[in-house]
Amino acid sequence: MNLVRDVLDKKLLDREDCPMGRVDGLVMHVGERSQPRITHIRIGGSTPWMRVHPAFAKLGAKLARLWGPRRTEPVRIPWSHVVTAGRDIKLDVKARNTGALDWEIWIAEHIIERIPGGGQEEEE
Amino acid sequence: MKKILQISLGIVTSVGGFLEIGSVMTAAQAGAAFGYQLLWAILLGTLCLIFLVEMSGRLAAVSKHTIVEAMRERFGFPFFFIVLIGMVLVAFMVLVAELGGIGLSFQILTGIGFPWWAAPVSLLVWLLMWKGTFGLIENGASLLGLVTICFIVAAIKLRPDWSSAASGLVPTMPHMDKAHYGFIAVSILGASISPYLMYFYSSGAIEDKWDESYIPINRLIAGLGMTFGGVLSMAVLVTAALALRPRGIQVDAFDQAALLTTTALPKWGFYLFAMSMLFACFGAALEISLAIAYFFAQGFGWNWSEDLEPSKDARFSLVYTIIILLAAIPLVAGIDPVKVTMVSMALTAATLPLAIVPFLFLMNDPIYMGKHRNGWLSNSVVAIVILISFVLAVISIPLQIIGG
Amino acid sequence: MDSALSWLGTAEMAGEAWLRHTTPDKYTRQTLEHSNEALRPIAHDLLEAPPRGIDTALLAVVLAQSQKHIARMARLVRERNAPALSSQLDSLRADQKVVKQLADDIKPKQ
Repeated sequence: MNLVRDVLDKKLLDREDCPMGRVDGLVMHVGERSQPRITHIRIGGSTPWMRVHPAFAKLGAKLARLWGPRRTEPVRIPWSHVVTAGRDIKLDVKARNTGALDWEIWIAEHIIERIPGGGQEEEE
Repeated sequence: MKKILQISLGIVTSVGGFLEIGSVMTAAQAGAAFGYQLLWAILLGTLCLIFLVEMSGRLAAVSKHTIVEAMRERFGFPFFFIVLIGMVLVAFMVLVAELGGIGLSFQILTGIGFPWWAAPVSLLVWLLMWKGTFGLIENGASLLGLVTICFIVAAIKLRPDWSSAASGLVPTMPHMDKAHYGFIAVSILGASISPYLMYFYSSGAIEDKWDESYIPINRLIAGLGMTFGGVLSMAVLVTAALALRPRGIQVDAFDQAALLTTTALPKWGFYLFAMSMLFACFGAALEISLAIAYFFAQGFGWNWSEDLEPSKDARFSLVYTIIILLAAIPLVAGIDPVKVTMVSMALTAATLPLAIVPFLFLMNDPIYMGKHRNGWLSNSVVAIVILISFVLAVISIPLQIIGG
Repeated sequence: MDSALSWLGTAEMAGEAWLRHTTPDKYTRQTLEHSNEALRPIAHDLLEAPPRGIDTALLAVVLAQSQKHIARMARLVRERNAPALSSQLDSLRADQKVVKQLADDIKPKQ
């Protein structure tokens, strides 16, 4: 598997095909005598911004502390939850339970639903 | 039947995306200043756009990715972020110009200045996106935009010398005002080849769930739709050449452009011009707002669709809400939309390589395109577009200062 | 000179269109007022730094006259006085002719 081509930046879907962001980063375990292996997928937080420049990551973290769900840490999904890796990466998780949709839910509840016609975010 | 009806996607993309304040003002300026001499610029812009739009649709149909999605995955986040900044900044300026165009149309109809229209117009655009569906926007804008056919009627009624007009399809240099000529040529190309059109088109193809069976119809849509837009632009140029040029009128302001169709269509020409601009700019404003929101949502992997209730794609909805709100501010402050148009077109030209180079790579990548990769013709046209756009980028800004 | 002719032409065309009932009152009046506003700095620049060989005195008179005619035309649109506007339009056309002649006289021969 070519990690950069087949994994990094790919869209993530949960078990119900709900989009939950993109693979912004990968956590790998590099053992002394073993092959490097992926342990986690990282979504959001400072992960993508660190790839641009650490200054962006710092700024993003500052802003994230001011409003929103106040989540500054990226979401980490164990690699063991990957079901398929093709056009998109399908995970054996429910997006809501991972924290990947925290921002989506917060914006829906605090902004969108307060505007007439915005609809209701469903709780399951 | 559905596939045949979907030709409207191409038509709305051309009416809303091709004919808008930028293309009308530049075509009118070109005709008023240089007669038929700049028809070749519209022809070249239209040809380039046909290829680019066809490629956008093909990418979506084959790879099931929009351009933005494929770009993020192929080139990574840092590159995507650079393109995001460039594209969104320019698209935002064009959005300001389009909202301003709607405001100016209301201004000439009512006498009430465009700054007063900025807020209600922006609200209307937002409301349509908030409550509307992709189909409503697609079909509604295309039907309303058919009023722009009045430019073709006006051009024909003025009885142009068709052989003189045809000679304008071949590039020639004028004897005088070379800098101004070059600037307008650059502006026409910048106005014609708008990246947001490609992003909107590929997103629309995904919204409409295109697959490989849509490839032939995609060619038809791109060809017919963009040709329709190009013919409309040419009609504006011809009308200006015949109605305004003999009177020495240069089209520096919107109220001058409003006189365009009054000679050929004495009874309704003025109102048809106003309605044409209103609907064309409205369609363009919707497209650009959607294109910007698509860019963010697709690049970051959010839920996105114009057919969903706003709370179901909250971040996508928030982006277009903020963008439209911000775009109204300069207009309320009284900034001239025509000046914003001119600046934004030069910037569009400057940033074209940023949009088109990655696109070219994608269209030749077997992972995304399989056997439907670009042939030599598409690659050549895109390569020429990149070259022209690079030249545009280098020439347009100094020309803006000298000629603009 | 081309810019001056452009705004003179705009005022003329707007006046004509109004007489033919092609354009509404508000738009016509605003376009005439806009033409005058645009002409003011153009006239100022032309007279500050006139093109070489031009009859500056004549240009000054004609530009001042044409601005007066355009201002009157805007007022006459408000009063809906078509016959008087038609007469002002004839005067404006005469001014335009003079400006055009002055511009042609200084154009490089080809």
